[in-house]
Amino acid sequence: MEELSLNETPVRTSKNFLINDIKLEEINFPNKLQAFKGIDISCNSTKINFSSKVSHANLTYGLGETFTKEVNNNANKNLKIEIDSKTRTETQVIFKFDSENLNLIDNIEIIANKDTKATIILKYVSKEEIKAFHNGIIRVYAKKRADIKVILINLLSQASNNFISIENVLEENSKVNFTTVDFGGKNSITNYYSNLSENNSDNRLNTIYLGKDNQLFDLNYIAELYGEKSKVNIEVQGALKDIAKKHFKGTIDFRKGCKKSKGNENEFCVLLSDKAKSLGLPMLLCSEEDVEGNHSSAAGKVGQKELFYIMSRGFDLKDALKLMVKAKFNNILKEIKKDELREEIINEIENRLD
Amino acid sequence: MENLLEIKNLEVKADEKEILKGINLEIKKGEIHVIMGPNGSGKTTTANAIMNNPEYTKEKGSILFEGNDITNSRTDEIAKKGIFMSFQLPEEISGVSVTNFLKYAKNKVTGKPVKIFEFKEELKKYMEELNMNSKNLERSLNVGFSGGEKKKNEILQMLILNPKLAILDETDSGLDVDAIKTVSKGIEMFKNENNAVLIITHNTKILHSLKVDYVHVLVNGKIVKTGNQELAKQIEDNGYAQYK
Amino acid sequence: MSTTNINEINRNIYDIKNKDEYEFKIKKGLTPEIIKEISKQKNDPEWMKEFRLKALEVYNKLEMPTWGPDLSELDMEEIATYVRPKTNLNNSWEDVPEDIKDTFDKLGIPEAERTSLAGVGAQYDSEVVYHSMKKELIQQGVIYTDMETAIKEYPKLVQDHFMKCVPVYDHKFVALHGAVWSGGSFVYVPKGVKVDIPLQSYFRLNSPEAGQFEHTLIIVEEGASLHFIEGCSAPKYNKINLHAGCVELYVKDKAYLRYSTIENWSKNMLNLNTKKAIVGKNAKMDWVSGSFGSKISMLYPMSILNGKGAKTEFTGISFAGEGQNLDNGFKVIHNAPETSSVVNAKSISKNGGKCTYRSLVRIAENAKNSKSSVSCESLMLDNSSISDTIPTNDIRTDEVEFSHEAKIGKISDKAIFYLMSRGLSEEDAIAMIVRGFAHPIAKELPVEYAVEMNNLINLEL
Repeated sequence: MEELSLNETPVRTSKNFLINDIKLEEINFPNKLQAFKGIDISCNSTKINFSSKVSHANLTYGLGETFTKEVNNNANKNLKIEIDSKTRTETQVIFKFDSENLNLIDNIEIIANKDTKATIILKYVSKEEIKAFHNGIIRVYAKKRADIKVILINLLSQASNNFISIENVLEENSKVNFTTVDFGGKNSITNYYSNLSENNSDNRLNTIYLGKDNQLFDLNYIAELYGEKSKVNIEVQGALKDIAKKHFKGTIDFRKGCKKSKGNENEFCVLLSDKAKSLGLPMLLCSEEDVEGNHSSAAGKVGQKELFYIMSRGFDLKDALKLMVKAKFNNILKEIKKDELREEIINEIENRLD
Repeated sequence: MENLLEIKNLEVKADEKEILKGINLEIKKGEIHVIMGPNGSGKTTTANAIMNNPEYTKEKGSILFEGNDITNSRTDEIAKKGIFMSFQLPEEISGVSVTNFLKYAKNKVTGKPVKIFEFKEELKKYMEELNMNSKNLERSLNVGFSGGEKKKNEILQMLILNPKLAILDETDSGLDVDAIKTVSKGIEMFKNENNAVLIITHNTKILHSLKVDYVHVLVNGKIVKTGNQELAKQIEDNGYAQYK
Repeated sequence: MSTTNINEINRNIYDIKNKDEYEFKIKKGLTPEIIKEISKQKNDPEWMKEFRLKALEVYNKLEMPTWGPDLSELDMEEIATYVRPKTNLNNSWEDVPEDIKDTFDKLGIPEAERTSLAGVGAQYDSEVVYHSMKKELIQQGVIYTDMETAIKEYPKLVQDHFMKCVPVYDHKFVALHGAVWSGGSFVYVPKGVKVDIPLQSYFRLNSPEAGQFEHTLIIVEEGASLHFIEGCSAPKYNKINLHAGCVELYVKDKAYLRYSTIENWSKNMLNLNTKKAIVGKNAKMDWVSGSFGSKISMLYPMSILNGKGAKTEFTGISFAGEGQNLDNGFKVIHNAPETSSVVNAKSISKNGGKCTYRSLVRIAENAKNSKSSVSCESLMLDNSSISDTIPTNDIRTDEVEFSHEAKIGKISDKAIFYLMSRGLSEEDAIAMIVRGFAHPIAKELPVEYAVEMNNLINLEL
């Protein structure tokens, strides 16, 4: 299998910096796809419509043509979730991978009509140690004044491959709050794009990732601001142990005309091993004068003073480290209001740090 | 006697919102005026409107200074005419030292070259009086200054620039007792029969050590009562509830 | 109130054009024959001729950069890579031809030499026309001369270091440099010698449609220290000029080197310069850089921290006006334990100018207990300009402290109002804020250069 190059950044930098794209070997696309049966949908409202009539995906970015094409042509799950105007709802979709349901190619379209206030939870999980494959597209359309929260959880098994392309389109006065919990997969590659084309829209993206063994996370987040008084906030917190690797590529692009807009990008990586690797490219692109753009990033070990303090209270090293990592994740975990889901994630953190 | 400052029926908007709804105020030389009022009543707007801050829009009315209309004058022209405003939140300007800034500003306000030796002596004198650390002179203007240091720095600027009218916008807020005393001392040093002071505040502590001539109560964009120092005392005891 | 109207600058000092008079100008283009002719004209030793021809081969193999500013208007067929001025190397200004001396006079070089420099080199087009250093330094064994003399008088020293720090295959324009380089300075500071007063080389490109490819090689031996200043300028022509210099710095154990640059090339210049330092144990390398000129600049000085405890600091400012695309930044490789880097980069864009901060911080597996802190600030002076920040952070081990911060925005209206309330006009207020913004860089420069930089900013505003 030849090398596959994917998840390109919108602006290139020197090739020697090894961050413009990612090259993967040995990705076997499944050729015969069976229907994916392990899907559970739960919903607390009748004003939400589920169908399989998704539109053809034309992505501005995405992971790459191969991936988009595969979703458009071969998806074994098409899911359109349309929320009626002024509806308040919480919906959870769980994709359960097992030896019968190994491969999922899904095309998800979420349409939040005017004045909706909705939470959509998308959870990808495999309990068994299988080699699952997931390639998906998630598109979110937030109409005027819609306030939508998407929580995307990847708890796939360690040997899996997880590919996701996300695209958000925000209309005037809408809010999209995206939270991703990225824990699973040998390779977990995410492309995230938000188009803030109209005035006064607000996009938040919160990510926590946790890497162990030889896991690789490649996160390519892009937000383009066109409308006035738009807001983008990207917050990424992660921890890496063993020989795990993370690439974070974040782009906030202030386009001409997005007056009085604000963009923030914060990325922090806790390194729990001397072989773990953190590569970052937090970009700010700016063609509009009247904006405020900030980014900050940091990487390193857990603070030794804090660690000492916690250990002096009777925690052993492993528990102290767990506590510190959980503390770092806490602000983002708070976004997950559903208690049992949050508990499940906290348990996963405990297990993965053991 | 002729008015130093005269505000006539002033209406001001900020962020599309009506803040001042017809203010009238007359200040003569030698007077100390106080505008008091609860948060959001329009106190800071009044100060900014006098300085013609472009963030505030004047809908109606006029402001005269020594008989000249300054309603729509540029901020720097107003400063050169002799009005000084001490900011509630002084801006941080990095890379510009306090000394250089003051020298430059004094030159602009007086229109004359600054005599270095006299200027330094004057600075030294005032800084001692205000209990300021002379090391601050070489630091960037307000950068990394504590709240108290910033406010003292504003008073220092007032003394150096020596305006005809000094407007002190919440100069006392957030300060401890000692700092408030220092600020009052600065005002006393500045004050004489040829100039005037307009103090804007929401508490009365600073008035304990100063003799004021007029107290105006500003509520919801209007001056609802004017009195003497006694009025400030009443408000200290009873709050603003009766004026709402 | 938010938009600032700024007049075009008066660059008259820099724009004095002398007649394009030369003793020899190579024909335009790049072929082995042209390279051989340059080599012959320059009287190269055999190894250097071979080196040049090999570099040309590498040049032909390497591709153009696939990132950064568009370089498509550069046509090497239209650039004369070697222009020898009508004079030899002199060590007295009296002997420098009148019009050339006049140019340097107006740039203030002989004056600075008298008042504040320990030595001066001046290059005009492809060759160094003046070189001189104070006697005391000669007595201490300090060498400061042009590269051509160095090759003849210190062949081993040069051959051991020449393009070893910056190999020709680094990128296409380094290969080009290797093939056609000419002029530049060679500095050698012996062990333990502290050169307290700066040395300065000034590079002036007068000839139109020409390239300048000077090579600067500095070796600061163990425990020695040096401050070196580089200045560059050129008059403006309508056709593209090219600058592809190369700076190689060897900072040995416990040594200190400060390398300051004030770059004010004319706005028809493509400045594709390469600068790199190898820093030894407990040594320190400081870069101070002011970038004002050029049409396009791609300049990313690099420190390789190879010895335990090595340190580096980069302090830089770029100021891009109409028609300028300044893609500048810094690269650091932490390649040993307990190394540290501090980066303070600023940029100002106005009148449609574009500033990009592009960088790399790499902390290698073996660089335990290393620290790196980066701060970038970009100021937009109007709405037609562009400002991008593209930093790569590559952290490969855990015992490190790495942090990066960046800010983009305009001058706050509140700050302008504050200064205006103290009697400053809007223009004065903006100029004061911009000068303050650039102050951290200006204060790192020797006084005359800080003044020059402030003048440049005032000119630009």
